[in-house]
Amino acid sequence: MSDLQIASVTKHFGETSVLKGVTLDVKDGEFISLVGPSGCGKSTLLRIIAGLETPTSGNIAIGGINVTQLRAADRNLSMVFQSYALYPHLTVAENIAVPLQMRQMSALQRLPVLGSIVPGARTQKDDIAQAVRHAAEMLEIAALLDRKPGQLSGGQRQRVALGRALVRDPAAFLLDEPLSNLDAKLRVQTRAEIAELHRRLKATFIYVTHDQVEAMTMSDRIAVMMGGEILQCAAPDVIYEDPDDIRVAEFIGSPKINILPVERNGTALTVFDQVLNSRLSIDSPKVMQMGLRPEALQLTQSAPRLTGRVVHLENLGSEVFAQIALDSDGSRVTLRAMPEQRQNLGLGAPVGLSFDLNAAMIFDAGGARLRQVELAATRAAEVA
Amino acid sequence: MTRDWWKHMVLILGTIIVLAPFYMMVSYSFKSPGEIDRGEGGFFGRQEMMIDPRCVALRQPDRADIEAARARFAGQDDASVQASLLAETEADCSMRPVVFNYSKAFTEAPLVRYLLNGVIVTVSIFLIQIVVALPAAYALAKLKFWGRDAVFGLVLFCLLIPVHAIALPLYIGLAKLGLTNTYAALVVPWTISVFGIFLMRQFFMTVPDDLIDAARMDGMSELAIVWRVMLPTAIPALLAFAIFSVVAHWNDYFWPRIVVTGNRDLFTPPLGLREFKGDGDGSFFGPMMATATVIVTPLIVAFLLAQRRFIEGITLSGMK
Repeated sequence: MSDLQIASVTKHFGETSVLKGVTLDVKDGEFISLVGPSGCGKSTLLRIIAGLETPTSGNIAIGGINVTQLRAADRNLSMVFQSYALYPHLTVAENIAVPLQMRQMSALQRLPVLGSIVPGARTQKDDIAQAVRHAAEMLEIAALLDRKPGQLSGGQRQRVALGRALVRDPAAFLLDEPLSNLDAKLRVQTRAEIAELHRRLKATFIYVTHDQVEAMTMSDRIAVMMGGEILQCAAPDVIYEDPDDIRVAEFIGSPKINILPVERNGTALTVFDQVLNSRLSIDSPKVMQMGLRPEALQLTQSAPRLTGRVVHLENLGSEVFAQIALDSDGSRVTLRAMPEQRQNLGLGAPVGLSFDLNAAMIFDAGGARLRQVELAATRAAEVA
Repeated sequence: MTRDWWKHMVLILGTIIVLAPFYMMVSYSFKSPGEIDRGEGGFFGRQEMMIDPRCVALRQPDRADIEAARARFAGQDDASVQASLLAETEADCSMRPVVFNYSKAFTEAPLVRYLLNGVIVTVSIFLIQIVVALPAAYALAKLKFWGRDAVFGLVLFCLLIPVHAIALPLYIGLAKLGLTNTYAALVVPWTISVFGIFLMRQFFMTVPDDLIDAARMDGMSELAIVWRVMLPTAIPALLAFAIFSVVAHWNDYFWPRIVVTGNRDLFTPPLGLREFKGDGDGSFFGPMMATATVIVTPLIVAFLLAQRRFIEGITLSGMK
């Protein structure tokens, strides 16, 4: 176990640049998720950490030692693949034993028949069998040890792949979308199990996923990647509540955050010509965007800041999501409401919406967060 | 009768054309020389007792034999003793044609030795071909290196070179090295099989990259990946290749005929057939066909046993 530094790593495939200078420090024992839409470079970054790809420039260090030029086998990392990648000709026990055999036994001891008469081979074999059984019991697959991967279900194969990764004591675990081939129910269950495994092993986990729910529920920190860069790397609640970039705000959160256009007229902050407050400094930009999470919007009858009509309703039982087409420009916003408010949300019903300016996030036209403007706006609100 | 009857007719006709020589071979191996010459006796021949003329010729009773046998035929003159002895010899030398043919096949020439040579040569060729082809195919299918496509192009190009075109330079090279009339001469020229490299490369293309990456993460070197991961997954393709390779070299007449001159200890089974080639005293078709039957039987049996996996390997659907 040791910490891991990724220093300004870039990767080009021919003309296309997949990673544009990624820097990330992972602390010992941390569970970090690399999350982003497909094609954002997260898998490439993981493969570079693993040593399966070489970076075009930049360095990878594990425990303070530069491993950029080291091949994958020498980096002491374990990886779980999306397709599980089990050896089809070996039984479950043999699959799990492979990393130990390759690392602990000499080439002579690994020979098919001769190996067993080499001195020390017997005790080595017993030790490995012991370790395999221990890993299998931890993952509750001890009953499957004699089967071939072809006879296992997806979830069982996934456990075997995990077992193969954790049978030895690697510097870090790398997981490449390990849950994406499982069905929804199993995914939720395995998600909890992996998080629990992390707490028990206290090992460094680097987890690649495109599923923000997996990232939010399991990680100590989330690194949101887009277009070959890490946009923000922070704890899940920070990523959700205080995103640095509008792309992060839009990627994390389901349903998606509502984005409304806002403008500065003189010192006034306006949305659809309605003044929200008038204490902005005049050097803030004229055109801005405001992000409002669905739960930041409230139904109101008196003096609504926004008005619209319900166009779509999703009832999840514990909560209701309503899509509302705004009267001002026809754009849609999503509102999270309590089930008891459902009678006010019939399809086509006119509704008024209000929100607390404290919960609003302001971004510039390019998408960068404008905390100064927010600060000024909320201070103004308090004064008023 | 379906509308496809003509397709079946064509296929049946094709089958007959292919099987006819085998039918003749097996049938001749059962018949007596007279039946073969006259073309009678059906498939099995009549299996009447026949006398082996060479056996009789070799055991003509001489003076000493007659003297030794006089006690048994008391009171007879020399001529009748000789006649009785001749009758005994003929009785000893008479046998069923099928027994005659197959016993001749094994006694006239050291056929077992030839079969053993065939096994040694084909197995050595196949094993060395695998040792060469698997790493090469792995590199061509899964490793990225400068000039890989050009190298693969060369492999394809080599598929186009007929063996006979390079036979002479190969022979001269082996002769200069003093290797003619050795097992090496029979084996070495075939150890690099471009067809094997091509076939295995095509198969390895279907092996998922993740499997190889997983092996790398597990601490395997590239060569360990070839032998511990790629080889076991490639068994169906290897079986297909084994059939091509073994059949080609078991049946090869051309190359052994060139590099094995005289030393009968190195003869491969097809060269053994020459033993029955008629020189002065007429051809021994019966024993010759018996030899041929013995030579092809192992191949046919092996093919029937491996048939299903063989076809799997050719269609490259062994994985997943």
